[in-house]
Amino acid sequence: MKNIKLKINNKTHELAVRDSELLIELLRDRLGLLGTKYSCLEGDCGVCTVLLDGKNVLSCLILAADVDGCEVTTIEGIAQKGGLHPLQESFINKGAIQCGFCTPGMILAAKALLDENPSPTDAEIASSLDGNLCRCTGYIKIIDAVREASQRLKDGK
Amino acid sequence: MGLLKDFKYYTPATLKEALGLLKKSRNSLILGGGTFSLNYLKKAAKYPTDVVGLKNVSALRGIKDSKGTVAIGAMTTISEICASAVIRKNFPSFVEACSKLATTPIRNMATIGGNVASRFFWVDLPAVLISLGAKISIAGPGKEKVVSVQEFLGSKPPEKYILTKVILPKSDSLSFYFRHTKTMPVDVPSLALAFFASLNKGRFSGVVLVVNTTISFPIKLKEVAAAIEGLRPKEVSLKNVLRALNIDAQNLKLDEYRIHCLATDLESLLRIL
Repeated sequence: MKNIKLKINNKTHELAVRDSELLIELLRDRLGLLGTKYSCLEGDCGVCTVLLDGKNVLSCLILAADVDGCEVTTIEGIAQKGGLHPLQESFINKGAIQCGFCTPGMILAAKALLDENPSPTDAEIASSLDGNLCRCTGYIKIIDAVREASQRLKDGK
Repeated sequence: MGLLKDFKYYTPATLKEALGLLKKSRNSLILGGGTFSLNYLKKAAKYPTDVVGLKNVSALRGIKDSKGTVAIGAMTTISEICASAVIRKNFPSFVEACSKLATTPIRNMATIGGNVASRFFWVDLPAVLISLGAKISIAGPGKEKVVSVQEFLGSKPPEKYILTKVILPKSDSLSFYFRHTKTMPVDVPSLALAFFASLNKGRFSGVVLVVNTTISFPIKLKEVAAAIEGLRPKEVSLKNVLRALNIDAQNLKLDEYRIHCLATDLESLLRIL
């Protein structure tokens, strides 16, 4: 076992983790953060995406012991002042959610992009979401939603 | 039990400590960014008892710009390489390959050391590293040694070693990288071409073209390189280059698909030059 201390969604946790425990197992099975999904478990689909120190990474390919001292953000942690994050609102407004399984990963990948590049082009949005698969929307509405969120964030709405 | 079978995970803070752990263990695996190794562990029949993670070895991180070379620490991520001003300035073909490799989250996690040490000759980086004359530094039971990427990938791996850095020689050169995929851009390339040349008094010198055929170790297009060597950019003839490609294709037994992709790439290359 390893003792780790990390921030998850702005809350400090001190935890004992198994040496071979993956970050996704820690988040879902022990902390109940179910927005982070199990799917391919090979790094192909992106539904297990979380932000690790602001970068979008795949929690199925990270050992929990390796996030000691880091800051993890899951979909549960991005709401602002008790309301939805502009990205979440834009995904709803634009119909960018259908079955919803890929949505947490999509939103977190988009957040990583907008935090670094507040005014991305459509090509930059598409490229930044290249690690997240959606089998419902065909991506067009997702790109529309990220574009709209980018504008709302710039406008402070 | 979780998704991975149990192992003892070590997180050394120094290279010396990491090498000591490797020496002591009879069945170990080194963990870099984890994008290959942790996937491998989910399916592996031969399972390690010890995993040595290099995340905390600070000496393996970062990019150092020296007079004649740029050294990239083995634990530097592909995203960090793409964002590096010194890499972008000196090695455009390498940046192109790094920025097209896999997907954004994988690039945020995967390390250059892990990419080279995994010895996958069919992925993006080997061909471009060979074209740039890259070397790697290897620490092991003996003295740390430096070998070319070409030599490393083409020979049996040393035992109980840690790849510490990738060294790129700087030169006033031109370099380009072209890749083809069969379905999506995020796929591994079905064919890729890395071009490198210096301009000496306005003439090409040291021309190298390395092809990742994905079915064999990266190969050099020697005849095509000879058709460009010593000429001024405007003197290079597409007809001569394609004729040389046909000779290379016969020597290297390239199929029609690969010849077609390479002809397209060479045409694009001559337009850029």
